[in-house]
Amino acid sequence: MKKDKNNNKKEERKTINGRPLIDFIGHRKFFISISLTLIVISIIFFFARGFNLGIDFRGGTEAIVCMDRIPNRSVTIGEIRSALTTIRPEYKRAKINELKPLAGGSSGRQRFSIVIRDVLSTVNQKTDFEKHIVEVFNTKISPKLNTTIEGFNIVGGFAASDLKKSAFWAAIIGTILLLIYITIRFEFIFGVGAILALVHDVIITLGIFSLFYIEVNSPIIAAILTLMGYSLNDTIVVFVRIRENMRRMRGKPYGEIINLSINQVLSRTINTSFTTFLTVFVLLLFAGSVLKPFAFALTIGTVVGTYSSMYIASPILLGWLQRARVKHARR
Amino acid sequence: MRSEQMRVLIVIAVIALSFIFLFYPEKGRTGSSIFKNIKLGLDIKGGTRLDYRMDLTSALNPDVNTLAEDVRTVIRRRLDTAGYTEAVVGKVGSGLKTRIRVEIPGITDPSAAERLIGKKARLYFGEIVDQTESVEKPTPKYGFKYEGTKWLKVKNKENTWYLIKEDIRIGSRSVKLGGEHITDARPSVDTQRGGYKVDLKFDSTGRKIFADITKKFVNKQLPIMLDQEVIVAPVVQEAILTGSAEITGKFSYADARELATLIKSGNLPVNLIKVEERTMGPTLGKDIINRSLKAGIAGLVLVLIYMILYYKSMGVVADIALLYNAFLLFGALAFFRSILTLPGIAGIILTIGTTVDGNIIIFERIKEEMRAGKTVKASIRSGFSKATVTIVDANLTTILAAFVLYYFGTGPIKGFAITLTIGVIGAMFTSLVVSRTLLEALSPFMRNKYATAEEKGI
Repeated sequence: MKKDKNNNKKEERKTINGRPLIDFIGHRKFFISISLTLIVISIIFFFARGFNLGIDFRGGTEAIVCMDRIPNRSVTIGEIRSALTTIRPEYKRAKINELKPLAGGSSGRQRFSIVIRDVLSTVNQKTDFEKHIVEVFNTKISPKLNTTIEGFNIVGGFAASDLKKSAFWAAIIGTILLLIYITIRFEFIFGVGAILALVHDVIITLGIFSLFYIEVNSPIIAAILTLMGYSLNDTIVVFVRIRENMRRMRGKPYGEIINLSINQVLSRTINTSFTTFLTVFVLLLFAGSVLKPFAFALTIGTVVGTYSSMYIASPILLGWLQRARVKHARR
Repeated sequence: MRSEQMRVLIVIAVIALSFIFLFYPEKGRTGSSIFKNIKLGLDIKGGTRLDYRMDLTSALNPDVNTLAEDVRTVIRRRLDTAGYTEAVVGKVGSGLKTRIRVEIPGITDPSAAERLIGKKARLYFGEIVDQTESVEKPTPKYGFKYEGTKWLKVKNKENTWYLIKEDIRIGSRSVKLGGEHITDARPSVDTQRGGYKVDLKFDSTGRKIFADITKKFVNKQLPIMLDQEVIVAPVVQEAILTGSAEITGKFSYADARELATLIKSGNLPVNLIKVEERTMGPTLGKDIINRSLKAGIAGLVLVLIYMILYYKSMGVVADIALLYNAFLLFGALAFFRSILTLPGIAGIILTIGTTVDGNIIIFERIKEEMRAGKTVKASIRSGFSKATVTIVDANLTTILAAFVLYYFGTGPIKGFAITLTIGVIGAMFTSLVVSRTLLEALSPFMRNKYATAEEKGI
């Protein structure tokens, strides 16, 4: 019986649009185990290595410190760190980055971002900090630096926990609403498939952020939301085709229907993902430093999201749908 | 009118409206960019943003909305008087998460403005229980006599501390007198001591209390405090029944004016706690926007080229649709007076993707229909009707997610949700209406190459 079906399938649909059908469903156990492995590794990274959380999530103060460029000598991060340590020993752990001058910018000055855990909430605390910095840089590095602080970014612990809380609730409510919508338009299990694919994408992307220890801040959250949007889009497009084919090909095995659907929308999936990838990749290569991590998240996200909508979201449906059909038949 | 003609008309009307919103010179708006009517966020144009939380435990009336409104009015008045007229004072969030947001564009040193905002500016009278000379703040005194007292520094006097009690005892009862009973405060020339002073006027209740207090304080010092500082502690000559008082202290005019402003603008009904500060140097902002804009345009051009290479004449349609939606989005941003921030730009990128995607979905469907052997016109018609379902389902889920983000998100994420929603609605309109109009106009010139290929015997 089973053999018969397989033969039928091969005779009916060997090719699509002049190319052979790709078997997405047959290897689903293989791909799902790859994804599970990646997810487990990511979660291990979450706990073992953690995240490089920006001040948005952790609270703290970022000071943008500027200094004149002295000919033949540029200030190093190490120098700044040892100077900072003399202000307060715990500043040893401050996060220091040089902000690279951009073409046409004020390249005559060096710019550093210094992030400390303290929340300098009053004007006095800020002016004190600035005074200390200028003093210590003049004595420890060079008196000719003409150090100034271009600006502060300060996030209180309250604001940080606020952001975490609203992110949590947005995730919960968003999931529930999506499940309701997809259940109405499709079936409940489609919603589960879509959400699992989303969780898959987010966990793996965050895993890569943990692996490379790239800073996670508000724009990164926007990027992750964007990639969720893309991934969901991809998944829904496949689902719509499956729904259509389920009506048209009533009685055919679900594996065949799902596999054919993925194949039918394949060139759309590839073209859309490729054009998106093109945009964000160019952004990653050339955009200013602020947008770089953002573009990185999106570049990773398009790849992972495309993969999950083809190999994860729909194949997950298969087992469930088959079981449901057996139950239905018994009744 | 036939539906095709109707569609053409709508397509033209919508883009015309977008152009009007985008380029119509509005009064009082100047800018060097071509998109003058789009407001840029502080993270792009530079400036300082300060977010405050209200410490509700310090408020008399814990109704958050009224408090927030009062705080806004007070801060607004203070900033206006100090010349920060371009600053924006707003309320974000709701309920216990309400924040007061002050955005000051452009200035490099916001501390002067910050000093003005942060002051609660609570003016009150009190009683001096004790005084001492000390460099450090003296240790608090305990005991029945010292209940409710605190050490406050005296303005313009180094190392002098007064132990102040806010409840003033008059016989068996105790009274309080503060800025809420003051109806007017203005700077005036101090003819006796030189410099400037601030004249105060009390309301009727305040006048009675003030009369009672001054009766008791004849020949004694009556200190006047602003927040945590004793501004002046004059000796009362005689009981004052007229309801007017003055704060002397040889102020400069600017100081006297600031003091009067702070008193008259009312004290803040709550303590403000700064929770967030963001500075973006204008040069930093400009670098980012220029570079990212160039990168964005480069990416867009690559997409435009790819679409033409892959889809030929239909690619041209997709490209026109893409540009159409870009102008539509910017026009809508101008119309809704949204502020464009960095996450907003992320929303635009997503919108570009969605528009391209909509067209790709349609073209692939049309190709499928052509492969099935339909004529070009029939393929376009059934391709669109089938693709519509997909596009609507895919985009409605995105809009659903955007609503959730708007509701729960804070500042920048909200901006992302707004551009995303506008962009996705625009993308649906462009894919389903604009592209269709263009394709149908183009259909007489298109060939069904798949049909001929099949006929050739594949």
